[in-house]
Amino acid sequence: MEPLSRFFYRRSEKALSDATLQASISRTTGKFVGARADSVAAFPGFEAARDEGSRIKRETLDRLDHHLGRFIDEAERRGAVIHAARDGAEAREIAARIAKEEGVTLAVKSKSMVGEEVDLTSALEAAGVEVVESDLGEFIVQLAGEPPSHIIAPAVHKTREQVSRLFVEKLGEPYTDKIPELVAIARRRLREKFLSAGMGVSGANFLCADTGSIALVTNEGNGRMGTILPRVHLVIAGIEKVIPRLSDLPVFLRLLPRSATGQPISTYVSVLTGVKRPEDPEGPEKLHIILLDNGRSGILKGKYRDILKCIRCGACLNICPVYQSVGGHAYGWTYPGPIGSVLTPLMTGLAEGIPLANASTLCGACADVCPVKIPIPGLLLELRADERDRGLKDPAEVFGMKGYAAVMSRAGILEALERIAGVISSVFLKEGKAPWLPFRFSGWTDRRDFPAPAPQPFRKLWKKQRGIRPWNR
Amino acid sequence: MEPVGRKEELLSRIAVALRGHEANNPASGAAAGSEAAQSVTDRIARFRNMFESQGGNFLAGPSLDPLLPELGEALRISGVTALFSPPGDERARLVAETLVPFGPFRLASPGEIRMVSAPASAGIQTAEFAIAETGTLVQSGQKGKTLLPGLISDVHVAILSPAAFVDRMEECLAALSEDLPRTISFITGPSRTGDIEQTLTIGAHGPKKVIVVLLP
Repeated sequence: MEPLSRFFYRRSEKALSDATLQASISRTTGKFVGARADSVAAFPGFEAARDEGSRIKRETLDRLDHHLGRFIDEAERRGAVIHAARDGAEAREIAARIAKEEGVTLAVKSKSMVGEEVDLTSALEAAGVEVVESDLGEFIVQLAGEPPSHIIAPAVHKTREQVSRLFVEKLGEPYTDKIPELVAIARRRLREKFLSAGMGVSGANFLCADTGSIALVTNEGNGRMGTILPRVHLVIAGIEKVIPRLSDLPVFLRLLPRSATGQPISTYVSVLTGVKRPEDPEGPEKLHIILLDNGRSGILKGKYRDILKCIRCGACLNICPVYQSVGGHAYGWTYPGPIGSVLTPLMTGLAEGIPLANASTLCGACADVCPVKIPIPGLLLELRADERDRGLKDPAEVFGMKGYAAVMSRAGILEALERIAGVISSVFLKEGKAPWLPFRFSGWTDRRDFPAPAPQPFRKLWKKQRGIRPWNR
Repeated sequence: MEPVGRKEELLSRIAVALRGHEANNPASGAAAGSEAAQSVTDRIARFRNMFESQGGNFLAGPSLDPLLPELGEALRISGVTALFSPPGDERARLVAETLVPFGPFRLASPGEIRMVSAPASAGIQTAEFAIAETGTLVQSGQKGKTLLPGLISDVHVAILSPAAFVDRMEECLAALSEDLPRTISFITGPSRTGDIEQTLTIGAHGPKKVIVVLLP
């Protein structure tokens, strides 16, 4: 997917003025936030599971070469063909080659964020394969020709009326505004595809190193059908998805569904190991696993390693005041919300992605809900520091901040400036608001007033009332 | 074909990235808490509570006969006309055969159910485990078992005996790990989606109804 994150501000403005979108976003995030909070409160073991999950993920990353090597060996031993892809272009090439070699003409695909990241569908289509998205939300956005807007609920920006008009226009189905009828249409249309597809394409929620197993978590059941019925199973997964043991899976299953949708567990969890055995009545004869790097080993190298602990639950999106305001598309790449604000600059380049890292108040809500305790606000600050270090920041802002730091660390200068500001404010400003700042800083006052300095500085009032200087206490 | 050395190259790239970066916090292995051994009755009660709260239907009785009218009615109102059970699952076959007179039912083969134009069906199968913690059924492909009844039918009927109940997922993974099958399917209630307007809707791709029949 071509990143458009450098246009974040423009795209946010568009999102903020779209009333339908605003209603969908607030409905979704509100429901998810409430459901998560309720299910966490109902499960006393959640904090212990967070500690455990966080520790396992970090330890796995610290020895990822070992664990990934183990996964590769075990999966190959059970009949999988492993493909290593350095970047998105290689992953697309590999997928197209597999489809050709396997003679696939129809593929059913489950939701995969990594699939979006490398644009897997278009690569398969270019290789002559009809690719049907089988997750209902993905099916809808595929019909609409749009990218997904939420990790867990890709079509949250669409109303039932919009969905039905799509079904009328693209599938020739009769109009209905009843959601169960819309779901029944999709079930019927997709069932035909599941039964005739030559290949199922999926991501992976977890790769278990000691058994070479793939764990897939879904609610609809598309993940199971697409990985049990077709002759070929193609998996694409980021290298960071590995966990050391199959027996580590339960702790992550206590974290992921609660954090994502507030369910104690998702309706379907599949643990898939190797290919169909001779005695098995169903299951794929061929299993191809593409392990995608695409910048992840670079992230592993440095101070951002913790971001690779992410299990893609979407909790940080739902709780984030920025995501709640602008929705997923404004972020301009595969991963929106706080997790995307860290991943996008790291994976698509600092200059491309840095507007996302800057669009945060660092309120910390994302870190509070993260099931694997990723310190997202700290990572956002690191990215901003990198931006300055690489000379990407506006020199006026750097100069202004230096001046600010100089003034704030010298009480005498601050006091003098406060007095001057107080005079200016009482003479020139109306109603205690500065409607504009000089043009280099006008970004702060384009959409809101800057609070004017008070006529009397706080510390002067304090001194008068308490007779002491607050900093001398 | 796959160029030789690509996987090695990926692993060495990761090793290089990690070099000089110490592994930190080999922290305490605080597990999610161990509970005392639970009695079977308690396990079943907790399973039932979780299973029903996630949309499952639960039937239990001293034998099959008193449950048949209610089971037949549940299938009938879901529009089921065809019943199928996997070959070799004698218990499920018995349930399917005795159920036929309790609704507009006939026996069908798994092959027939796999067709695009299949009749509305109930897939009846003995489940291997039932997990109390989450109200989850476990169906695996171990020893050549089929997964179709819980996969493509309209109603999934899972036959359970008290011995199948475990407290946590860990126990059933450990039991299955000895001879790890190609597929393990953990099933908690009917297939669902919230993808249109965040409205919970039942019956996306999998069974629209999941019924547990607990027999001694």
